[in-house]
Amino acid sequence: MKKSSLLAIVLAVVVAILLAATACGDDDDDSGADGGAAPEGPTITIRGQDFSEAETIAEVYAQYLQAKGYDIEILTAAGFRAEAVDGIRNGDLDLIVDYIGGSQTELRPDEDTSASPDDVISVITPAYEEIGATVLDYSPAVDGDALVVRGDADAEKISDLVGKNFAFGASAQCYERPQCFIGYTAPDVYGIEFGEEKTIEFGPLLGEALKAEEVDAVVWNTTAPQIEAEGFKVLEDDKGLHPAQNIAPIINTETLDAYGDTLSSDLNALSAAISTEDLLQWNTETDINKRESDDVAAEWLEAESLT
Amino acid sequence: MSGIQVQGSAVSRDVGLWEWFSNPETWTSERGILPSLLDTLTLCAGVMVVAIMIAVPLGASLAHKRKGEITATGVVNIGRALPTFAVAGLLVPISLRQGWGFEPWPIFIALTLLAIPPIYLNTYTAVRQSNSGAVEAARAMGFSERDVLFRVELALGAGLILAGIRIAAVQVVATEPIRAYLGGDGLGRYVRDGLGQNNQTLLIGGAILVAGLATATGLLMGLGERLVLPEGVRRLRVSQSRTV
Repeated sequence: MKKSSLLAIVLAVVVAILLAATACGDDDDDSGADGGAAPEGPTITIRGQDFSEAETIAEVYAQYLQAKGYDIEILTAAGFRAEAVDGIRNGDLDLIVDYIGGSQTELRPDEDTSASPDDVISVITPAYEEIGATVLDYSPAVDGDALVVRGDADAEKISDLVGKNFAFGASAQCYERPQCFIGYTAPDVYGIEFGEEKTIEFGPLLGEALKAEEVDAVVWNTTAPQIEAEGFKVLEDDKGLHPAQNIAPIINTETLDAYGDTLSSDLNALSAAISTEDLLQWNTETDINKRESDDVAAEWLEAESLT
Repeated sequence: MSGIQVQGSAVSRDVGLWEWFSNPETWTSERGILPSLLDTLTLCAGVMVVAIMIAVPLGASLAHKRKGEITATGVVNIGRALPTFAVAGLLVPISLRQGWGFEPWPIFIALTLLAIPPIYLNTYTAVRQSNSGAVEAARAMGFSERDVLFRVELALGAGLILAGIRIAAVQVVATEPIRAYLGGDGLGRYVRDGLGQNNQTLLIGGAILVAGLATATGLLMGLGERLVLPEGVRRLRVSQSRTV
């Protein structure tokens, strides 16, 4: 008797969860069907990287395609670049949006980097082809790496940090990258010696640490809204260490072929419409005004009449 | 940028787990395992001392007076439900703005809140459920209330209290690595760097270290209990914990 009632409770819970899950699924399908003549093809799985800008970018691409009638599955943002590239490589993901210079450091870490987006694209296009993916047109929107200091710091360019013994803060990823910590400290590049090296999660905590003078220089991104809000300054990369970091969609080639030219031209049209100012505006909404990235994405798409 | 040697704290992805563990540099360098372990142990020891100083007197005195059973237990159970990472994460920006830095306060407070509930509950239970015959006999023999608490209730309940401390210590040691995500280092740095740099060696090596430390803490403290407790109290603990 006791056993069977326990079983009934467990069953009820399972059914409730399943119902809730299918209810959510229905919502997505409904919004996807609004696009009129829906393009035929496989479901496109997309996942953003786990920081607010990448999450919003993924939402923008996913909601845009969904409104066009594509069958889209958007996964919860997780991981960073390595996980995104792995997802493309093993087929878990069909579409990722990455910063092109970052893609190069992941796939071709030993090739010289360049501040010209076309040069970077010419390196990563064959690299992505090898893992069965196609790099579509890059966007004019750039979110570059930035070595950021407090406004009152006595430095304008990165090489000014030589001999200053600054405390340095960056994410764990930075410490193994030639275009980041390794480049800043290598004698044949910047040759900076930092007084202290701290690992800080990429995101708003970097700004908090800089402001609280826990560290004196942090590796952030140029579209971090706190940089202007807190009066920080971005040091000039006078030795050209940072690569071009335009955003570009990278799509599983089989998925792309299944849809034909419509998908690539749709994606290229969207990429062309996004500007660096848009990225900054999204980040202000998500990081300063603490709004959800999917709302920010939906609002922007509507304002740009893309949905 | 080819030809730049990997330096700083980075470990190449090609280095195998065994190779990493068997390299003395891994253990003794400035940011190696031993300094990180010491860092972790110092913090955890501090947390445990503070948690014990709060939870044991509180639990013992309330249980002795038979007071606040429901309120105190409720409050402690809320503490139990608090996600340690969220507490520490909330405290970090506050601490930074106050000029107290990343460490140690946010993680210290969060871990102390984690450690208090098991110690408090075991202390309360130990005193509350100590053999009433022995307590009555002590009172009849003219023991003061203070003596009843210290020489009867706490003495009889020592096993259960130590078990609570052991449980709390294992939880603290196993949770402390989250501080690597809050601007700190300690043993959790390897898991953080391994995840961040997609480096399996660091990730798995770090996980082994953290799990190993938690296991060792449990075992060593269990052994310590055996050494400290008199045979009679140890037996008592078995029958007592059955009633808990």
